[in-house]
Amino acid sequence: MSTLVLEGEGLTMRFGGLVAMAEVDFKLNRGEILGVIGPNGAGKSTLLNIITGIYKPSSGQVRLEGDKLTGIPTHKIVERGIARTFQSSRLFGDLSVLDNVIIGRHVHTKCGVFDAVFRRGRAQRELKESAAIAEDLLKAVSRELYEQRHRPAAVLPQADRRRLEIARALASEPKVLLLDEPSSGMDDNDTEALITDIRAVCAARPDLAMIIIEHDMHLVSTLPHKVMVLDYGEKLAEGTYEEVRKIPRVQEAYLGRKAVENA
Amino acid sequence: MAASNHIETAAAGAGTGAVGIALVIAVELIGAAFLRQFLLVEDWRIIVGMLGVFCAALYVLQSRPALENRIAEAFSEHRRLATLLGAVIVLMFPFVLEQSTYALHLCVLSLLYATLALALNFQLGSANIPNFATGASYGIGAYASALLAVNLGVSFWLALPVAGLVATIFGFLLGLPSMRTRESYLALVTIAFGVVVHQLLNNLEFTGGPNGLVGIPAPELFGHNFASPLVVFGYSLPSQANFYYLSALLVLIAILFADRLHNSRVGLAWNALRADELAARCQGINTTWYKVLAFAVDAFLAGFAGTIYAFYVGFISPDNFTFLVSVTIMTMVIAGGMDNILGVIVGAVLLTLLPEKLRAFSDYRILFFGVTVIAFLMIRPQGIFPQRLRRYGG
Repeated sequence: MSTLVLEGEGLTMRFGGLVAMAEVDFKLNRGEILGVIGPNGAGKSTLLNIITGIYKPSSGQVRLEGDKLTGIPTHKIVERGIARTFQSSRLFGDLSVLDNVIIGRHVHTKCGVFDAVFRRGRAQRELKESAAIAEDLLKAVSRELYEQRHRPAAVLPQADRRRLEIARALASEPKVLLLDEPSSGMDDNDTEALITDIRAVCAARPDLAMIIIEHDMHLVSTLPHKVMVLDYGEKLAEGTYEEVRKIPRVQEAYLGRKAVENA
Repeated sequence: MAASNHIETAAAGAGTGAVGIALVIAVELIGAAFLRQFLLVEDWRIIVGMLGVFCAALYVLQSRPALENRIAEAFSEHRRLATLLGAVIVLMFPFVLEQSTYALHLCVLSLLYATLALALNFQLGSANIPNFATGASYGIGAYASALLAVNLGVSFWLALPVAGLVATIFGFLLGLPSMRTRESYLALVTIAFGVVVHQLLNNLEFTGGPNGLVGIPAPELFGHNFASPLVVFGYSLPSQANFYYLSALLVLIAILFADRLHNSRVGLAWNALRADELAARCQGINTTWYKVLAFAVDAFLAGFAGTIYAFYVGFISPDNFTFLVSVTIMTMVIAGGMDNILGVIVGAVLLTLLPEKLRAFSDYRILFFGVTVIAFLMIRPQGIFPQRLRRYGG
């Protein structure tokens, strides 16, 4: 049995004349963490949007465990087992922390309008189960977050918002978790705590594969098994962090040509 | 020592329990008495005074959130008592209206609008879909049932579900083009739908054109005709009481729908849609489907309300179901409190009664109506009773 979970092949995205992504390939194995780095506008978020079906690539395709995902609507892709967080956290701010995670269980629950109105017992039971699972999940991600489960999500501090987004994404029991700049807006202490949290999440789910888009080099150097570098929508390099950071073109992309020459 | 502590906490618990019960009873009785007085009073000075008192009460609630929370807590603690007392008040209400047919008529209208506002709340409140076509769904329900009754002699009880179904189908039809649009553009599509329905009703042959449909027979139940006075234990109530109880039943059904849907996976999905559509899609929510669903549920309840209205007044014309009706219903939801069942009902009752009770100002009454609504929104920007967070088993 192959351990390959997610792969992209020849992913290209054009917006009119602008090429946001050109012929990018990637492979992600079970339990593996892939870090994606690159300067602003390199196409990192575009990649996530293609994988989650928000964008339909101009050419190329994404496969999850061999099944083609390209062309399938976003909500179906979540059902197949891909969950994500957003760079600017997009929580349901006027709902409670717990409700946010319960909504993350949407693909694992079934009750529709008919059940809700005429088969109340069934609907309530399902919702209670979801609430119990959501509470366990919150406890596992962060005890503090669990204590605040009845507060509106909008009042949480930045670090907790990010944790909640991860908890919400995990609630759908994904095979692949996509994190879009999880450390953005965090200081070093928060980032350190975040790394610990992500490690705990991975330890509890050995099969979970992850793609992390990051700017924070400390995080990139510690968590991912391999790193992919994007620049102007093209894949510059791929390998371990140590390999990648020595490649001159990567240094150029990050630091500028002059800086590399002077170094 | 420990024992005495225990007794003390128990006593304190019983104390707050008793206070809670008293609070629930007081709030409900005062509310009912206030409404009764407001319905019966004719002197405009007293009406303005009562509105002032209401605004003051809102102001107190707004400036003392602790008091508001205490009341809300008492109601959720003594939920059964609150419901029971509420039911008794609703049942007894026609008996304290001094046989006033006008007051009863206003009650029926308020209840019908409460249903419509609850219907729209599924969209506007839960999912933030600005639907300006609730009035059209209301009209479709009214016309569907009236046509059945007038042309085919179908009884009210059969026409009611059929009209609900017809309105739902039209709701779906409206939902389909709306899926491709969002926010202001979505609002435009619904406005256009409302105008189209109004124009069709006005110009089609079989809907009677601008003259509308006349001679819709009053419903009958076990040989009792709804146009005749309702006699209960030898006490005779005006014929409007029949429709009062019928529309109260409809509101009850609407509340059950609203409450159950709100506290379900569907309600959560709608709320997710309201907060952030893209994030909702990324949680696996089929946003298109849930939007269409909100249109259908809205139309279903509005169709019911339309049917009762048609059989109540016995005569309908396109002018009963204009764009203005849709806007009024929308105002009820916003002023009452989005996604709060009680708030929406209070908003509907208040906004139905206001233009009627402000008749003393003749030409200026719509102006006063507007000023009052603005005053409510200034005091309570989130509506009279804003949305509350869900709680799961403690």
